[in-house]
Amino acid sequence: MEKNNRPAQGPPPAKGRPKGPGLSTLLKPYRGFISLLVLLALISNAFNLWLPKIIAATIDSFTNHPEAGIRHTLVIEFLWAVIGAFLFAYLQSLVQTYTSEKVARDLRTRLSEKISRQSFEFLQQTTSSKLLTNLTADVDSIKSFVSQAIVSIASSLVVIIGASILLLSINWKLGLIVIAIIPIIGITFFVVLKKVRALFLKSREVIDTLNKVINESILGAAIIRVINSMQLEYNKFMEANKKALNIGLGILRLFASLIPVIVFASNLATLAILAMGGHYVIIGSMSLGNLVAFNNYLSMLVFPILVIGFMSNIIAQASASYIRISGVLNAPDPVETGTIKKDLEGSIAVRNVSLSYKEKNVLKDISFTVPGGSRTAIIGPTAAGKTQLLQLLTALTRPTAGAIEYDGHPIAEYEKEAFHKQIGFVFQDSIIFNMSIRENIAFNEAVTDESMQKAIATAELNDFIDTLPDKLETVVSERGTSLSGGQKQRIMLARALAIGPRVLLLDDFTARVDTSTEQKILENVRRNYPGITLLSVTQKIASIEDYQQIILLMEGEIIAAGTHSELMNTCPEYVQIYQSQRSTSHYEQHELQS
Amino acid sequence: MSNTNYNLNNTAVKDTKKTSNLAALGKLVNLLPEQRGKLIWALIVILAYSILTMVGPYIVGVTINDYILNKKWSGVLANCGWLLLTYICVLVLVYLRTILMGNFGQHLLFTLRNTLFNKLQELPAAFFNQNKAGDLISRINNDTDKINQFFSQSLMQFVSSFFFIIGAGIALVAVNWKLGLVTLSPALIVWVFTKLTTPWIKRRNAANLKSVGGMSAEIQESLDNFKVIIAFNRRDYFRKRFDKANKEQYSSAVKAGIANNIFVPVYGLASSLGQLAVLTYGIYLMTEHQFTAGFFVTFFAYVSYFYDPLRQMAALWAGFQVALAAWDRIAQILNLRSDLVTTPGLSVVREEKASAPALLEFQHVSFHYPDGTEVLHNNSFRMGKGKTYALVGPTGGGKTTTASLIARLYDPTSGRILLDGEDLRSYSAAERTRKIGFILQEPFLFSGTVKDNILYGNEQYHNLSNEELAAVIEKANLKTLLSRFDAGLDTKVSSGGDGISLGQRQLIAFMRAVLRNPDLLILDEATANIDTVTEKMLEDILQRLPETTTRVIIAHRLNTIENADEIFFVNAGTITRAGSLDQAVDMLLHGKRVS
Repeated sequence: MEKNNRPAQGPPPAKGRPKGPGLSTLLKPYRGFISLLVLLALISNAFNLWLPKIIAATIDSFTNHPEAGIRHTLVIEFLWAVIGAFLFAYLQSLVQTYTSEKVARDLRTRLSEKISRQSFEFLQQTTSSKLLTNLTADVDSIKSFVSQAIVSIASSLVVIIGASILLLSINWKLGLIVIAIIPIIGITFFVVLKKVRALFLKSREVIDTLNKVINESILGAAIIRVINSMQLEYNKFMEANKKALNIGLGILRLFASLIPVIVFASNLATLAILAMGGHYVIIGSMSLGNLVAFNNYLSMLVFPILVIGFMSNIIAQASASYIRISGVLNAPDPVETGTIKKDLEGSIAVRNVSLSYKEKNVLKDISFTVPGGSRTAIIGPTAAGKTQLLQLLTALTRPTAGAIEYDGHPIAEYEKEAFHKQIGFVFQDSIIFNMSIRENIAFNEAVTDESMQKAIATAELNDFIDTLPDKLETVVSERGTSLSGGQKQRIMLARALAIGPRVLLLDDFTARVDTSTEQKILENVRRNYPGITLLSVTQKIASIEDYQQIILLMEGEIIAAGTHSELMNTCPEYVQIYQSQRSTSHYEQHELQS
Repeated sequence: MSNTNYNLNNTAVKDTKKTSNLAALGKLVNLLPEQRGKLIWALIVILAYSILTMVGPYIVGVTINDYILNKKWSGVLANCGWLLLTYICVLVLVYLRTILMGNFGQHLLFTLRNTLFNKLQELPAAFFNQNKAGDLISRINNDTDKINQFFSQSLMQFVSSFFFIIGAGIALVAVNWKLGLVTLSPALIVWVFTKLTTPWIKRRNAANLKSVGGMSAEIQESLDNFKVIIAFNRRDYFRKRFDKANKEQYSSAVKAGIANNIFVPVYGLASSLGQLAVLTYGIYLMTEHQFTAGFFVTFFAYVSYFYDPLRQMAALWAGFQVALAAWDRIAQILNLRSDLVTTPGLSVVREEKASAPALLEFQHVSFHYPDGTEVLHNNSFRMGKGKTYALVGPTGGGKTTTASLIARLYDPTSGRILLDGEDLRSYSAAERTRKIGFILQEPFLFSGTVKDNILYGNEQYHNLSNEELAAVIEKANLKTLLSRFDAGLDTKVSSGGDGISLGQRQLIAFMRAVLRNPDLLILDEATANIDTVTEKMLEDILQRLPETTTRVIIAHRLNTIENADEIFFVNAGTITRAGSLDQAVDMLLHGKRVS
């Protein structure tokens, strides 16, 4: 029990190993609230402890002077104590709710602000599911700590200590016997709880597995139905669920050994009070009222012992959560190093850039230049590193070695916001927010209505938007499930164009947009955004034949760079790709002319 | 024809209003009829336990009255013996109670989880399209967790408390009915108070749960789209959206918290008033000689046996309400019915035709979404065995919907689809999926290895070792594709698809589908993110599929369809047969998008 006494004065310093700032640091700003909370709990419990004393006095005054009836002063005293206990308990519950929710809200705000300042790299490393846990489950367990642990432990200690003192003061011999149940119950509880905690940890793991299977069955719902693998998923789930059941039953068996011990110990105390107390009453060394008081205090004693044990669980959970949360909160902010804010001409130079990701070399010593206002294509097989290259070019990630320059200045010298304002990036995967089409396209807030309209026209979205019930104000759903792949891609293009970029980066834009629309769109871009630098990752040679430069990327290396005709003469890999598309190229040609 | 609205946030689906606590509980217990015997035993033990517990204070009271007040020490000792015996019985009963009741709770939880998961498997694809994935995941994870907490931690306490309250109530009245009734009167106030506040508390907790779901969905969406947020200088977007969700969550949580915490002080008050009643009225009755001092101990014990469980129930009540609110939300899912039922023997009148039945036939098929948006309008066509068909057309024209109808992810809103001359709806899911393979536009991987994923749901090759599988893969001409993965079959993949490109994911989906040897294989832009060299390889593999395999290829790029035997042009909800590639190109170039 020793261990658990500490929290009464405040949250415990994280046990054992040095773990950086503990919960106490977190709660420092709320010291006032928490002191108030503890104080309110103390007062309301002191009132409760007073009650058996008044009862004893009333009974004794009546047994000694039956003719006098009830002493009214005692009744009024009793009423005051009852009202006091109620009022303070109620106040305490209000303060408790406000404080704990405030702590939770502030913590979430701090976390989200921290996350919002972080780089894309940070998010990739931390993973979004971990951050989600930090923001929900971890914050909740700290909330429970504030709302339950602090108050419960303070109240329980007051009751245990107060009742013990009062028992001893009435009759120290009998008092000692009754108090003896505290360590008996406490120690048994402690031992069992330790075992239970190990099982709890295991059960948490199993629940995580259960949740993972559920999550995959939701995200993969379509493929599961196409393959009819519901039974398979069910079996996976069943296996984990059976484990969960067995752990649950294991925990149950431990409790089944604990609860009878508690009940029996407190019953034995009742027996002792009857036998010994009876003896004292018979010989006249104890009053009947005090015998009643002994029974009353005993009934107040047992529960608080258990509460302290349970709270140690909540404390452990909260400390673990706080360690996870402070990991995020203490992550260094990315520093804004860039100062250049000027308008870009759009020339790009990639110098000896390498990138490795989890010990895998994604890009190996890449160098090339893109003149401002030119059109450049990057083609290459799957997993060649094209997407990663584009992410480097937009400063979403940083290369492991080498430098990327815009207009002769390294990318890091540009002020990030000013830089992103001039770079339009159409991502390969469809990212549509759950808001109106207008908000999706004018995602950057600086976008004017005019530039949005121009972007919509360029992306050939006017016809489509006209068919929607609320036109631009139509809200599209998460993951854009109500839109087709091509529509999503075009909305993303419009979003990129709406900021009026100097450089447009397309990542496999053509994959989901049909050829005729694609040609029209690219023509629109040329006409509406003159002088724009275009860098396009694509698979289709036909649509890039007239580009000033084509870069062939394979397994993280540049195999060749040049115009279409140069590559056709010098690069067998390029010719091979061209051949694989050749048989239909006359149709594409045909389209270009139209 | 069925076209159910599965949107859980849409009131149309909501269960017909608030079920009562008892009814909700009953429905829960009905989940496991085979456990009912256990429950009855548990209840009997609890009943015996609470009766014996009430006997203890009575013995104490009698002892004080008869022996201590009359100073007869020997009688005290004799009664102590009886008391000890009672306590030993209680010891045994409390052990049995814990085991029996706990067992029941754990099995109920187990069954509940299974039932829910089963339901999720049973519901059609439309359900998952109409609900936000993040919301759905949070709803299910959170809600089962809440129910979990209640059933594994508080159920026993809850039931025992209930019996204690009844037992102590009866004992109070039995020992002295006048004093008993007076002592119980504060409980009446509490009862009325609870009755009045319960709907309010339930509402606030339901609102709170909803806002938790909303916040999780918000976080999930923002984090998943973080790169766009950075690239478009909208870090404030994340903050603003989150702030809004956070504030909503704060206010709903405070409201729920205040509601949940109101009980404890009120119940404490009632208990103290009960004590006051015993004290004052008891002394009054003593002056009337209707009560003896020893029973004060008995009565105070009963008061605490009555009001303490009441207070505990009040504490647990909030958890119970939370669990019920969670159960409500889960029941909402359990109440949904799949509209894609298998109807065997849907008789097909083979109308005319001596010609061989087509592998697949659309007869006047239309499809619209629940909101009324029409995607396909009255289409009829046939597809033969062993041929290659291409579906081309502008984006949003209805190609993917056509494919989804063939795979029966949805049913047509009117018309019908025949597979091998039988209505598609008459096939069992196993039969249908054996015949039809579908490579989806956005491939999904399950966490595990490449091997796990390409053999996912494949009964035929299920138990093969790596070597045997390698042989099968070689035979299916898939070997070259496998070389695209660092560690071959053992390459690790996760459901989020981290560290693995979209193209690679598509390759896995391709292998997965080919190894199932379907009669009809649909590729929905399945090679969109694969380079042309690999794509050429895929095409070779497709060419070398068994002669009888029919291929349906959805594509934008024309080179992927040059080998098609027939081309369908899908636009504005109409599927038109284009005679040749030239004609298709012509339609593509001059056809207008969306009417």
